[in-house]
Amino acid sequence: MEMLEKDQEIDLTIIPPSGPAPAERSAVRARDLSVFYGDFQAVKDIDLACVANRITALIGPSGCGKSTVIRSFNRMNDLIPSARVEGQILFDDVDIYGPGVDPVEVRRRVGMVFQKPNPFPKSIYDNVAWGAKVNGFKGEMDTLVEEALRQAVLWDEVKDKLKESGYSLSGGQQQRLCIARAIAVKPEIVLMDEPTSALDPVATLRIEELLQDLKERYTIIIVTHNMQQAARASDYTAFFNMNAERAGYLVEYGRTEDIFTKPREKTTEDYITGRFG
Amino acid sequence: MTDIRSHFHQELADLEQTLLNVADQAEQMVGMAVDAICIPDMELAARVVALDNQIDRIYLDVHNRWLTLMARQQPMASDLRMMSVLLHLNTTLERMGDQCVNIAKMAQVTFGLPRSERIIAQIREMGDLVRQMIRTGVEALVRRDIDEARLLPAMDEPVDRLNRNMYREVVECGPDPSLLEWATRMMMVSRALERIGDQVVDIAEQTAFLLTGEMMEFNENGISGTG
Repeated sequence: MEMLEKDQEIDLTIIPPSGPAPAERSAVRARDLSVFYGDFQAVKDIDLACVANRITALIGPSGCGKSTVIRSFNRMNDLIPSARVEGQILFDDVDIYGPGVDPVEVRRRVGMVFQKPNPFPKSIYDNVAWGAKVNGFKGEMDTLVEEALRQAVLWDEVKDKLKESGYSLSGGQQQRLCIARAIAVKPEIVLMDEPTSALDPVATLRIEELLQDLKERYTIIIVTHNMQQAARASDYTAFFNMNAERAGYLVEYGRTEDIFTKPREKTTEDYITGRFG
Repeated sequence: MTDIRSHFHQELADLEQTLLNVADQAEQMVGMAVDAICIPDMELAARVVALDNQIDRIYLDVHNRWLTLMARQQPMASDLRMMSVLLHLNTTLERMGDQCVNIAKMAQVTFGLPRSERIIAQIREMGDLVRQMIRTGVEALVRRDIDEARLLPAMDEPVDRLNRNMYREVVECGPDPSLLEWATRMMMVSRALERIGDQVVDIAEQTAFLLTGEMMEFNENGISGTG
């Protein structure tokens, strides 16, 4: 995993014309990515470079492979026995599916937040400290926990009840606790798979605001079914669709303002204006 | 293709149709206002003012419907561009109505004054050109035809030229104070027609934006640049 410590800029020449400006450094990049579940091809030939310290939203109809793609970015698909990956996921120019790469270390550096808040049945404090403990953190744990909770904009709400169960918090607070837990191990990328779909509108907006703060430190990739959320919260948007064999493919990738005002592809236009199906 | 937002798209189409009707009315009002000057006809002038009140009411109604659609439907892509165009079109047409009223008021204040037939002919020519521009501009929008929209700057050029020439015609009316008073008012009529011409070019630019997503500044050569 030493190879991943290199801080090389990634060649962005294959990014589509509407994609990120070449000056922007990509944090992670899928190259010719295909994922299979048994004989079924879930996604096909994905080329996608997500820009560092920006929010990239993956949108598209159900079953188009958005979650499969995002789960490929930290090898979560390894946990599914029938899953098979072709192509590459380049993280600092190293293929995370290459030989000798430790998936546990990949997941430390590429954190994930799920659709439903899933705190551990432990105290608020232990929820945040858990990852660091597992990783053998030797520093000042109280400081680490406070810093992560502050970054997740949860500190002021929980600082007087750190020993209470994570379950005692509201849904929105639990999701911010999960974000605090994800960032406590100091990842470089945070993946979020529909992180607000179980939350009420106010909690949703709170998370969206939080994302804007978090992107200064982390690269964020978010799957969302809510197009308005993608429009509000992301800097780049990737639109996925599925072909006749139901394999997901990347239709268009570009700056969010372009995708939602003047998409280049008719398929994108039809989807986001509701003329799809 | 299934349109899963058919109600929204129907409302969008209704809003556009309302404004196309207003554009037709504005074109007729230009004709009536110019006739009110050229005949001259006080009754026609009063009808222009009444029709403008109607446009003002529609303007408010469209504005409210637009706000509701925006708040409730959060349009995207070409729908969002259409919303932008409709907002612009609503304002532009309301101002065109106001320019027609300006012309009609000049008909009222100059009634009974001596006139110059040369200037009358020029005003009539400008009115005909502007009405043709409105028809072309509306047709380009209805047909989503960018090539037709691009015709507008060239069509506006003779209107601008006639407006510039008006000053010389007015100066020639110099020795007779009553004729000069009438002619000075006709400069304002000419200026109003010239402004309507520019507003139609604005509509053509909006059509281009709708179709391409790029804001273009039109001039007599077609397009001067993109913004």
